[in-house]
Amino acid sequence: MAWNEPGGNRNDNDPWGTGGGRGGNDQGPPDLDEALKKGLDKLNKLLGGKGNKSGGNGGPSSGGGSSAGGIGAILALAAIIFVGYVVFQSFYTVNEQERAVVLRFGEFSRTEPPGLRFKVPLIDNVNLVRVTSVRNTESTGQMLTQDENLVSVDLQVQYRVGDARAYVLNVRDSNQALAFATDSALRHEVGSSTLDDVLTEGRAELAVRVEQRLQTFLEEYGTGLSIVRVNVESTQPPDAVQDAFREVQRAREDEQQLKEEAETYRNKVVPEARGRAQRLTEEASAYKEEVIERARGETSRFLAVLGVYETAPEVTRERMYIQALEGVLSRTSKVLVDTQSSDNMMFLPLDRLTNRAGTGSDSQDNSGSGSSNIDIQTLSDQVVQELRGRQDSGVRRSR
Amino acid sequence: MGPKSIAGLAGALIVVLVALSSVYIIPETHRGVLLRFGELIQTDIEAGLHFKVPVIDQVREFDVRLLTTDLPSRQYLTIEKKPLDVDSYIAWKIRDVDQFYRATGGDEYRASELLMSRVDNGLRDEFGVRTMVEVVSGQRDELMIALTERVNETAQNEFGIRVVDIRVKAIEFPGQVSQNVYRRMATEREKLAQEFRSRGRELAEGIRADADRQRTIVLAEAFAKAEEMRGEGDAQAAQIYADAYGSDSEFYSFYRSLEAYQNTFANEDDIMVIDTDSEFLRYLKDPQGSR
Repeated sequence: MAWNEPGGNRNDNDPWGTGGGRGGNDQGPPDLDEALKKGLDKLNKLLGGKGNKSGGNGGPSSGGGSSAGGIGAILALAAIIFVGYVVFQSFYTVNEQERAVVLRFGEFSRTEPPGLRFKVPLIDNVNLVRVTSVRNTESTGQMLTQDENLVSVDLQVQYRVGDARAYVLNVRDSNQALAFATDSALRHEVGSSTLDDVLTEGRAELAVRVEQRLQTFLEEYGTGLSIVRVNVESTQPPDAVQDAFREVQRAREDEQQLKEEAETYRNKVVPEARGRAQRLTEEASAYKEEVIERARGETSRFLAVLGVYETAPEVTRERMYIQALEGVLSRTSKVLVDTQSSDNMMFLPLDRLTNRAGTGSDSQDNSGSGSSNIDIQTLSDQVVQELRGRQDSGVRRSR
Repeated sequence: MGPKSIAGLAGALIVVLVALSSVYIIPETHRGVLLRFGELIQTDIEAGLHFKVPVIDQVREFDVRLLTTDLPSRQYLTIEKKPLDVDSYIAWKIRDVDQFYRATGGDEYRASELLMSRVDNGLRDEFGVRTMVEVVSGQRDELMIALTERVNETAQNEFGIRVVDIRVKAIEFPGQVSQNVYRRMATEREKLAQEFRSRGRELAEGIRADADRQRTIVLAEAFAKAEEMRGEGDAQAAQIYADAYGSDSEFYSFYRSLEAYQNTFANEDDIMVIDTDSEFLRYLKDPQGSR
């Protein structure tokens, strides 16, 4: 305690007495100052320097060190700065996004929510962890599927720190652990799916399964991280086979197109056939009605005539016969032949007649039969004359 | 007074130094061991402020947090001798610092080397008894759990290390095999594309054939129905004719014949050669109509 002795006077002469009055904690430095002051005084005397005019405060301290006040001021300033620093160090703020994990003497003490917080300098160790912000990690690459194909998958994991204490204390490199676990979980799940699943409908499900698996890994490792969301950004066949995959897509469309073309054909053909079928039946129906009605008509006509005929058969019959033949003969060309008197061979140039008639009948449909009528008239006249001539000669011969 | 205070200063410094060197802090993330002349006298020192004898006692502290060690990619053969490039990692932590210090001298790097060679052997064994499909999909979990348990057991006993997890990050085909896989995949897709197109044609042909069949049937049915109706009409007409004409069939023949004459000789081009002896011309030669 010998070095403490000069301190006894301190209260009287210490120029920074009030400034330095911070309780027993700071007792050491003033004692040290005292000792230094004395040393400096001696040094001044040896050098023969006069008392400093500035050192006019003339304290009762031994040796009357005139420069003691200046050094003391510097030291006091240093002490103030030091104290200020310590006080400043005792407070810290925790931002809204953060939690503070406080270790006291290395031991876990507490986690602090956002706000202005106090710590004991040198004793408490504060780790600020951003907990609310969502971070990203990605896993991409080519991987094997269950059916031994390769697929390129691009996966994004969004995560945040769920448990700040665990995040700080349990795992040395949580982010690396997460990256490894993501790779493992993704490839495991892709390895348990077929290529088609990964490329098409299975994608959403893949993300869910990766998320579950990843979360169990992270919990097992105690990383304190929690998964917000797992996105399977893209799943593609490897570049080397993309053409083949596109070709399949085209083939699918071709299939659809062929099918639709055929359906178009069906939609055309079947209704048309139904239409034609209806026409057929309608026509048949018409025919049936027509035939029946015609029969009814014809028979009622016949029956009417029959009724009359029965009252006077002979006369009616005669009349009908003559009337009918009149009708027939009035329309046709006639050649009269007296077969009884001419037993000789009679020659009729029928072929010529019919030829003429044939050429005539060709144009008969469109043009009126006027010209052919004349032809036939003259023709028949010729025939009649010819016949007469023959008859005459025949008659002459026979007689 | 002067020397006294200097001595005091020095003494204070020494006291402070001694006090400081007799105190040590183990952080929450670590565990420590205390060595006295190289001998372990205190193990598994937990987090917090602790005391030791300065100079004589030495503290070694070890990070007991979980560590992930990446295993370099190695090639393993499956039971069917297919080579696979396997990339894996080990999650482990120091469990027994005493054991760990003894086994590895406290060297993490050495510890991970030891672990890696064990895991490497373990993976080789596990892959060697499984088929590729099992390794890639079906039995990944089983494989890893079995391996982790085995490695963990020896690591705990021998190194004081707890192996939390061994996971395969990636299983890949070696380069040459990948090319084969690409070719196979491409071929499979071509097959599939062909199948789609052929199926399209098949479907189309089926639909067309079905359409044609429907058309044929519809028309045939219509034909049948039409014929039936015509037949009915004919039958009814015939019945009507028969009913009417049956009452005097001789007169009907006459009547019908006359009608037929009129119809058949309706064309003006027809030429009739008529015998002058015909009944119709009876009066042409002789007003009395006698023969």
